[in-house]
Amino acid sequence: MSNTTVTEIELDFESKRFSVTKPEERFDVQGDMTDDERIEKAMVNFAKDFGRVSATYMEACIHCGACAHACPFYEASGNPRHTPIWKLEPFKQAYKREAGPLAFLYKTLNLKPKVTVDELKEWQELLYDTCTMCGRCTMICPMSIDIATLVGMARHAMFHAGLVPHELYTVTAKAQKEGSPLGATPSVFEDRVEWMGDEHEVEMHIDEDQADVLVLMSSIEIQKYPESMAATAKILNHMGKSWTFRTDGYEATNFGMLSGNTGWQKDMSMKVIATAEKIGAKLVILPECGHAYQALRWQGANMYGKPLPFKIQHISEFLADAVDAGDLKLKTVNKSVAFHDPCQVSRRGGATPAPRKVLEALGVELREAESGGNMNLCCGGGGGVITIHRADTLRYKIMANKFRQLDSTGAEMMVTSCSNCRQNFDESGEKLSWGKDMNSLLELVAENLVEDAKR
Amino acid sequence: MTLLDFARGPAMQIAIIIFVVGIVWRLVGVWALRQKKDLSEPRQKGAWIGGIKGLFVHAWPYKPFVPKVGTQYIVGYVIHLGLFIVLIFGTPHMLFFADIVGFTWWTLPGGVITAVAVVTTLALFIALIKRLVNPVQRMISNFDDYATWFVTTAPFVTGLMTTMGMWPHYETGLAIHLLSVWLLLIYFPFGKLMHSFWFVVSRYTTGSRFARRGGMA
Amino acid sequence: MKEHDLTLGEELRRQGISRRSFLKFCAGVASSMAIPAAMVPAMADSLAQARRQSVIMMAYQECTGCLESLTRSFAPTLENLIFNFVSLDFQHTLQAAAGDQAIEAIQTAMEENWGKYLLLVDGSIPLKDDGIYSVSHGQSHLDSLRELSEGAAAIVSIGTCASFGGVGAANPNPTGAVGVDQIITDKPILNVPGCPPMPEVMTGVLTSFLAFGALPEVDRLKRPKAFFADTIHDRCYRRTFYDQGKFAYSFDDEGARKGWCLYPLGCKGPITHNACATLKFNQGVSWPIQSGHGCIGCSEPDFWDKEGFYKPLSAGQWGTAEGIAIAAAAGVALGAASAVMSRRNQDKISGGK
Repeated sequence: MSNTTVTEIELDFESKRFSVTKPEERFDVQGDMTDDERIEKAMVNFAKDFGRVSATYMEACIHCGACAHACPFYEASGNPRHTPIWKLEPFKQAYKREAGPLAFLYKTLNLKPKVTVDELKEWQELLYDTCTMCGRCTMICPMSIDIATLVGMARHAMFHAGLVPHELYTVTAKAQKEGSPLGATPSVFEDRVEWMGDEHEVEMHIDEDQADVLVLMSSIEIQKYPESMAATAKILNHMGKSWTFRTDGYEATNFGMLSGNTGWQKDMSMKVIATAEKIGAKLVILPECGHAYQALRWQGANMYGKPLPFKIQHISEFLADAVDAGDLKLKTVNKSVAFHDPCQVSRRGGATPAPRKVLEALGVELREAESGGNMNLCCGGGGGVITIHRADTLRYKIMANKFRQLDSTGAEMMVTSCSNCRQNFDESGEKLSWGKDMNSLLELVAENLVEDAKR
Repeated sequence: MTLLDFARGPAMQIAIIIFVVGIVWRLVGVWALRQKKDLSEPRQKGAWIGGIKGLFVHAWPYKPFVPKVGTQYIVGYVIHLGLFIVLIFGTPHMLFFADIVGFTWWTLPGGVITAVAVVTTLALFIALIKRLVNPVQRMISNFDDYATWFVTTAPFVTGLMTTMGMWPHYETGLAIHLLSVWLLLIYFPFGKLMHSFWFVVSRYTTGSRFARRGGMA
Repeated sequence: MKEHDLTLGEELRRQGISRRSFLKFCAGVASSMAIPAAMVPAMADSLAQARRQSVIMMAYQECTGCLESLTRSFAPTLENLIFNFVSLDFQHTLQAAAGDQAIEAIQTAMEENWGKYLLLVDGSIPLKDDGIYSVSHGQSHLDSLRELSEGAAAIVSIGTCASFGGVGAANPNPTGAVGVDQIITDKPILNVPGCPPMPEVMTGVLTSFLAFGALPEVDRLKRPKAFFADTIHDRCYRRTFYDQGKFAYSFDDEGARKGWCLYPLGCKGPITHNACATLKFNQGVSWPIQSGHGCIGCSEPDFWDKEGFYKPLSAGQWGTAEGIAIAAAAGVALGAASAVMSRRNQDKISGGK
């Protein structure tokens, strides 16, 4: 249980965060554009997202303010500016003025003024620092407005206007250039795969010409939790699957999506899609990562321009299917477990039952937290928030709430299936002296595989 | 032509015309916008069932949210139910509609309608106070929110004054009540009162999009 | 002529009416006009002293219904005696004389009572084409009214036609008919509307004039407040049914047979000011609602033009309902147009998707 209040924590700005140190000066404004150019770029990108669905949502809001009460950021800060629908205000304004049915009236009578650069600068914090696109607000909204998706759209304008928070921009640019936001370049990846293979005596398949299953990893796992690679390999080998890693298509995270650059988002997705096609993969397995699931499973085909020729599963879904089909036999883990659902996999992704099937097969005593499952409280680190130093204080407050939530189940063991959440738990846990570990579902399975029951 | 004649005749006609034009304009104007198709593989078929469910699931907040927004929902329901009851089961109103559709229906006694209207008006004032006092609502509220409140409350207040004989001159009061309703109709398509239509579209859209993914909304 | 010299009191005594009966009459009229009881003795004395009042009654574009109502009685009453006491110097239906001699009577009455006679008018007055549509003895009623009002002490418009134009003025009003006060603006005018009006109201007005030398207090529409302040709805004996929600929806349904409220059948009681709910017609025999028919609002201006007597007060007046269909079509057009504009704008801003 955390016994350090958030105000007592000294924020560490010197340490590397995703290999970005705090610079002398924050570069939260990118590029040399004039204000007018920025607004023009922003409007171009707002306009690309005006469609029937986004318009319906922007028309439907009744200003009831209920969304604030579902948002982990508002709940932690109490600041009305963090009301989810308020985060969309410039996007809404632009839509109503330019593309809504009453646009003509709004423009001629100037009832909705043009969006200004200052407004967008003010909104940078609201669109990036204080939103993970967790979608909990949609659950409480009486009009069921999908605010999270719209925040993602609004980010498109922000990126092209050069208004992404410094650290997020830097890691995104790095990811576009090097293939990984954290320096897990193809050669680094290859090295670490080999290392894990040796360390854990697991047969690694890398750069096979042909395989049924393409396995992706996230840079967080590659760099911070490399045991995931070994765990995945162990399980797939045990199941006798034809699988491979590929150095030309391995990165599951998509910082193009998170920062709002659809061009880069497409590049990053296409690397994986092209590779999967090349090797004739029938299934692409996404690692323990939340937004990776959004990027490929739900947005991948739209980036590609046509339906994808392979299936996509989050590792927890893959494991759940395997357990269901009897392909995996697991030892019983006699512990009580509380599960933290990654928002992008459960509520936003639709794979909420999967980890529970796996936990059931592990024989644990599952203690559902209050407001868990599809209602789960976001950890506050996803969507790029964890990269942003200035968002730390609020993120720690949110984590304090998370610790309280999970601790109240009285469970002995904490499990999740997203390495970014896990990273958040580890870092915040240390800062707030949580005193518990966050475990990976994948690693738990790999550790408790019943290996003599081979197929 | 007295004010009452104007209210019962030309004012009503103009208001209804603007009402119909405005609503269709706004609905078609949004519905005719482009929409990129979602090419991802659905998790399950029959997303439309999720859409239908979606119309109802947000009728009451999910359990963890009840302590936070329950009261807000209750006040909202009192207002909407009160409006519905007064409009459909109040005899003079029923007769207005009966004139259009050609058949009458059972109505509630006048005293009951008056009581419902009083409760609804109180709820409307409570909602206004909440909007002014609650920091979240105060920040996000704009002209539309307050104008909507006014055009919704005015018919209730003027209606109560009319039925309770509180006007110095009954016919003028009745005319004012009618004009307040026409004001509501005229304002309707241009503000957030359109949520009466949007809630169906919006809830259905989210319900079906999330059913497609298997997630929950 | 000698009869004119008797006061009302003397005349009544000559008829054998006791002072006590006279006082009862005064009290009755006073109470019907909401005059305080304390004033009754003064009113009685004043009335007793009154001289025969010269009255000229002109019938213009009318149906004679008002006259019928006023003269309706089943037994001699004090009201009738009051009428007898008034010197009705001209009334073309009631009088025996006709032709030029009858017209001479008007001239004589006017000259002898210049500035003091009461002019009673029933029927509307056409204005179109110099008033040619309503003419007596070669003189348009428009000219007649103007001529006769010059020496009148006051004018009383009897019935809705004289008060507001009535049926003559109903849509499309081909004769350009109007009420008296649309023509005469420089004399005191009292309206006693109703189609027909109630004789008790005339009694009250006349008694007031005779006793106090002035017309009673009036509302915005110049109707005596004593009789026209309340609406039918305020005094209707079926009001409890309205409040309880018990209505008659057709003329022979259960509600109708049980005498329930007639609002759905178009009763205009709530917006009609008159005394019939309390005084009733034909000396208290009945009145429309008691007979099972909704009030048609006959004492209000333009009551003929409210889109029908059987349309409930709360129903709208639609004019042409095609307007709504056109509106819907217009809405689609506007919506489509705005969508096209939006798409174009979207393309313009985004430089093509």
